[in-house]
Amino acid sequence: MTAATAPVTAPRSWRVPSAAGPARLLRVELRRSPMLWLLPVLAAAFYVSTYHPAMDNPPFWNIRSGMLQSHTMLVFAPLLAGVGAWVGSRDGRRGLADLVGATAVPRWAGQLATWAAATIWAEALYLGCVGVLYGVTADEGPWGGPLWWPVAVGAATVAASCAVGFAAGELLPGRFTAALAALVVFLALAGGAFAIQDDATYAQIWPLNVQGPFPSDSYGIFYPYLPDLALAQVMFLAGLAAAALGALGWPAGAGGRWLRGAAAAVTVAGLAAAGTGTALAGTARVEANGMVIPALHNAASDRPTPYTPVCGRGAVPVCLQPAYRADLPEVTAALGPLLSQLAGLPGAPVRVTQVAVTSVHPAPSNGIAFGPPVIRGRPAVLDLPLSGLTLPGEGNTPAASFISSLRQQYGPVIVNELVGLPADTVTIGMNPVVGNDDHAAQFAVAQALERGLNGPSLIRSIPPGARAGGPVAGASTRGASPSSAQLQAAVNRFAALPEGARHAWLATHLTALRAGRVTLSEIP
Amino acid sequence: MTAAGVGRPVPELTPAQAGGSGGSGRAGLAGRAGLAGSAGLRLVRLHAASRRALTCLLVLVTCAAALRTALHWLPHTGVLSRQIPLTIEAGAAAVIGATTRSPFGEPERATGRWLPWLRLALPVALTGGAVGALAAGSASAHLAYGSIGLLRDVAGFTGLALLAAAVLGGALSWIGPIAYLGVTLPGLTGHWATPWVWPARPPHDRGAAICATLVFAAGVAVITLRGARDSTRE
Repeated sequence: MTAATAPVTAPRSWRVPSAAGPARLLRVELRRSPMLWLLPVLAAAFYVSTYHPAMDNPPFWNIRSGMLQSHTMLVFAPLLAGVGAWVGSRDGRRGLADLVGATAVPRWAGQLATWAAATIWAEALYLGCVGVLYGVTADEGPWGGPLWWPVAVGAATVAASCAVGFAAGELLPGRFTAALAALVVFLALAGGAFAIQDDATYAQIWPLNVQGPFPSDSYGIFYPYLPDLALAQVMFLAGLAAAALGALGWPAGAGGRWLRGAAAAVTVAGLAAAGTGTALAGTARVEANGMVIPALHNAASDRPTPYTPVCGRGAVPVCLQPAYRADLPEVTAALGPLLSQLAGLPGAPVRVTQVAVTSVHPAPSNGIAFGPPVIRGRPAVLDLPLSGLTLPGEGNTPAASFISSLRQQYGPVIVNELVGLPADTVTIGMNPVVGNDDHAAQFAVAQALERGLNGPSLIRSIPPGARAGGPVAGASTRGASPSSAQLQAAVNRFAALPEGARHAWLATHLTALRAGRVTLSEIP
Repeated sequence: MTAAGVGRPVPELTPAQAGGSGGSGRAGLAGRAGLAGSAGLRLVRLHAASRRALTCLLVLVTCAAALRTALHWLPHTGVLSRQIPLTIEAGAAAVIGATTRSPFGEPERATGRWLPWLRLALPVALTGGAVGALAAGSASAHLAYGSIGLLRDVAGFTGLALLAAAVLGGALSWIGPIAYLGVTLPGLTGHWATPWVWPARPPHDRGAAICATLVFAAGVAVITLRGARDSTRE
């Protein structure tokens, strides 16, 4: 048989369905993707950057989930962008671009298959790492369930990093492309950190940003995890990936007219999605339970998660959210001595209940300020927030350190609130509110009670009216302001009283003290 | 270098210079020395060209400009004041690592008598160039940890890039410094004490300096003796 006599059309069994070409190409690419060689490096990087630090923290789902987005992606994104660039520049480096451009499968489809293979391996590794971390965490028996939105953002970051790197490699093949792609992605992440710290509104879209300024242990327990910011981030990252990949389909050799039109449409849609995500992130605001984007917010997320608190025993029981069950002994040990001194006093808390937060205020440089414990209701209940505190076991924090820290941080606040002083009077030093004899008595009582908790201490803040040399004439409506010696003497007197006598005096005089009707000299 | 240039005769190769015919013995010796010198220079130039050293230098200058720009905006303290300069230093090291890749492979290994010396000289010279460029870029600006920290970090990152080049190949050598950077950045806030995380240590920390120097020395030694790993799939 000669060529002239050969049948013009191929036998029916040889015809390949149009979709089978890219699928077969994908199978080939999956077998020979360089990403396979990077998987051990990525796994090691995950262990060092995420797994090991995660295990240094108590088994809270929110802490460990947040690390899967922030810690893991800080390492994965630049590496994946570099390998993506390496994969993308393969044909260009080998001088095969013209050759593969003439194959049966359109060039763009071939490029997408190559990118998809690399991305599938990267996603498989990332999800495997997530599975390991979540499996180990679940084995430790934490309350609640895993958070999936940080994982979704991480998966989108993986795809986007591969896509951006791949596009860079396709467009600028060379030996430095992969290194520079990794460097640029690293710089972009660092620049995002800089922008978010500079309070740039749109910087909330930064892929390593889990819940804005909220510490990782302050969300997703008392209320459902707010997915608003994560939705915007996924939108942005998916758009970025689509725009990068779509741009590869523009050149004339990428495929037919329809295919190039589709590539252009994908690019435009990607840019629109990325822009929309960024714009939405710009509207994010700090609320009590996380970052809220009004256009994406679901009111159902504002309903508290039901739970049965775990309570300790004592004169004033301490009740915690079950996720913090392991910390109940430490919290009780920190506040118990103070609470037992205050038990039965008018206005003193009869129970301590853990709350997510008492108040939240955004602070400069992407910071956040949580309100102190608050005594409210009748009978009085102490609302105790633990968000933002370094819990026992967090970063190898010993229990004794947590107890001491909680006692020093919240003890004075509780005492001050009980005696009618502003919450931060003792802890922040000079306070203009403490400006006359009335507050001086409250101050002295608070100091004496605090001394019972934390041991002997010098007066750290002196009411502005009080002077070491003696009273300041005309400083008070009730006569001369007390000197620091007088104040110290009152503190010493009251602190030296037996606990029963102190308690009895407070039971009788606390209401008057709170109202400012007790002077320093009336303190026993 | 292109294939067209390979077969061209060396312009310096003339019979008189080679001392092959005529002339006194001393003149021939001088001629041979001159020839060896010019041939050596040509060898160095060709080696540098085959490793894209000039492009690397241009990228290093770009890194220096990026560092200068970043330092203008960065705060003088805090994690970011270290993070972005470190990233640029790691990028410079990654680019140096990429120059170790040989486009010739086995033939070059088989015939290049001076190859180990060239493999030693190029990364060391480029590292010096990187330190110089980045130091110039940070001059008159506040660089956290100063020039000593810069020298230590660039050397350490470059050592990692060279070691990665020996294991993964020159083209993938960037994985070493970039992965190390990603792993150690959290250490900037964590106050890690181990000297092996030298970017997180103060500039005058002797242990950190020793570790970075050891890594650099190991990288240079491995690249000098073995060269970057060749891949037939390049």
